[in-house]
Amino acid sequence: MELLPVLVLNGLVWGLIVALIALGLSIIFGLLDFVNVAHGDFFMVGAVLAWVLIDRTGNFWIAFAIVPAIGLVAGGLIERGVLKAVENDASLSIVASFGLSLILQEGVRATYGATPKRILDPIGVTFPVFGLEYEFYRLFAAGVSVIAMGAFFLFLHRTKFGTWMRAVRQDREIAIAMGVPSERIFMWTFGLGTAMAMLGGVVAAPLTSVEFRLGLDVLPLCFIAVIVGGLGNLPGTAAAAILLSVMEGAITSFAEPTTARIISLVFMSVVLLVRPRGLFTGLAT
Amino acid sequence: MNPGVVLLAACALAAPLVLADYQLIFAAEILVWGLFALSFGLVYGFGGMLSFAQALYFGMGCYGFNVATYKYALGTWSALAAGVAAAILFAIPTGFIATRVRRHHFLIVTVILSVLTSAMLASGHWRWIAGPYVTRSLPFVPTLAIGPWELSFASEAFTFYFSAAMVAAAVWLAWRLVSSPFGRALAAIRDNEARAELLGLNVNLLRWLMFTFAAGIAGLAGTLYVLLARYTNIEFFDWTYSGKAVVAAILGGASSLAGPFAGMAFYLATTEYLSRYMQQVAVAFGLLLLVVVRFAPEGIYVAIARRLRDAFRQKQ
Repeated sequence: MELLPVLVLNGLVWGLIVALIALGLSIIFGLLDFVNVAHGDFFMVGAVLAWVLIDRTGNFWIAFAIVPAIGLVAGGLIERGVLKAVENDASLSIVASFGLSLILQEGVRATYGATPKRILDPIGVTFPVFGLEYEFYRLFAAGVSVIAMGAFFLFLHRTKFGTWMRAVRQDREIAIAMGVPSERIFMWTFGLGTAMAMLGGVVAAPLTSVEFRLGLDVLPLCFIAVIVGGLGNLPGTAAAAILLSVMEGAITSFAEPTTARIISLVFMSVVLLVRPRGLFTGLAT
Repeated sequence: MNPGVVLLAACALAAPLVLADYQLIFAAEILVWGLFALSFGLVYGFGGMLSFAQALYFGMGCYGFNVATYKYALGTWSALAAGVAAAILFAIPTGFIATRVRRHHFLIVTVILSVLTSAMLASGHWRWIAGPYVTRSLPFVPTLAIGPWELSFASEAFTFYFSAAMVAAAVWLAWRLVSSPFGRALAAIRDNEARAELLGLNVNLLRWLMFTFAAGIAGLAGTLYVLLARYTNIEFFDWTYSGKAVVAAILGGASSLAGPFAGMAFYLATTEYLSRYMQQVAVAFGLLLLVVVRFAPEGIYVAIARRLRDAFRQKQ
């Protein structure tokens, strides 16, 4: 029980990272109506690229700077080149992104290998919290997620491009009629979503073991956060992801991790049945 | 009788004469996994429910079979029935929860159900539920009593015939169901739920019934797979296995009964064939999926059937 604060803190850190990834999924889902089954694998690719870059250069910060940019460009290109044809059809988007997911997973397995690898804590400073030595890097990871999400919301509400994105989501036809360049919006939305997943991957890489199946656990969590937070409700998505992880962390202090996972999933199912339009719909805004 | 059905039946009867033993088992595997894909086709193509939970019922089929043979030492027929019953019994509560919500929410609820069940079975608690029934290699070769004969699944030809016959029976049942008034009502719900409700249809009940029926089909596929492969794995419960059914069914054409079989045959045959020539089969298959989705978005089977029909009409 004395571990409770630390476990809750761990849950909060992990929840913030998941929130970042889930936000990326949510904008792709909401704007393109594209059920992106490969989103978890972009997260995995981010972590793997981080490992590779650290291996080559010995410097975490290079990976930290480059990988999200790679995600932005690669995501945009993939949307333009491959996924264009299947947008607005949820079932086809699942097949297409399943294909993409196979390519990413097996491509990584073929080149990077199947054995999980670890990255050393890039900061390597600890400080005492509640009687335990706590890694400073975890706080840094949480901070990066918060800043990235904050920057994203600013981008969405304060720039022309962000306004266009919101307009296309609200009413695509009217937005196009008003002269919003929807093709470009779709392309960069997918790129932005992918970049967020890959940034999540880089940040999470030193906290877990890096392997080609990393995305499989994260994807259901992100989908659950997107739906429980309320479809299209971006702050709700982030809040649901954080709630899910903090709850799991708190329960882990008196039960085993799988039990914690089960309890939080049951809770989410109940939420969906009681409030099918999302936890936060109709509260404010 | 439909000439296509006669042709298929003739092919199935002749198969053991033409194919080598391992090819027969491969053909039987295509049929059984195709039946699994059909269970997704029924909920999605005919019921409009994008389910990621079909693997749960496939897994429950294996589970029921294992409980029946391990705990109660029952024969193969009873074990078959137990597998299907286990899937249906599990689908009644889980389907009730899932079919109350719609569209994307339905998808997520089925994902949650899958992750939840896998987590419970994998956790190591609840040994009295998971027992040795989830991951198991059959320590014996099952046999089947038909009339005075005792036939063994050690024979590839018998295994193939039996799988084909059971799959054919299940497809016939599914065909009767979707062409019945119940199937029509369900199609109406899929196409326009508000109107169907105004017509006085009990939407949730009908969706629930279809979901449960499809789960029974998935359970049968799971049970047949145990007889075929003689092993079961906790992986069968995983949502990624549901993903395979989703991909195969949509690839073949989810709104036809033959489509899911065509899609699964394509999936298994290409991965099997490609794996002889290259290491990275899955990458090639992923690329293939993207190509198919681009050029035959309604599904391979449906696209080819339409082309053939058009060509035939032009000749006349």
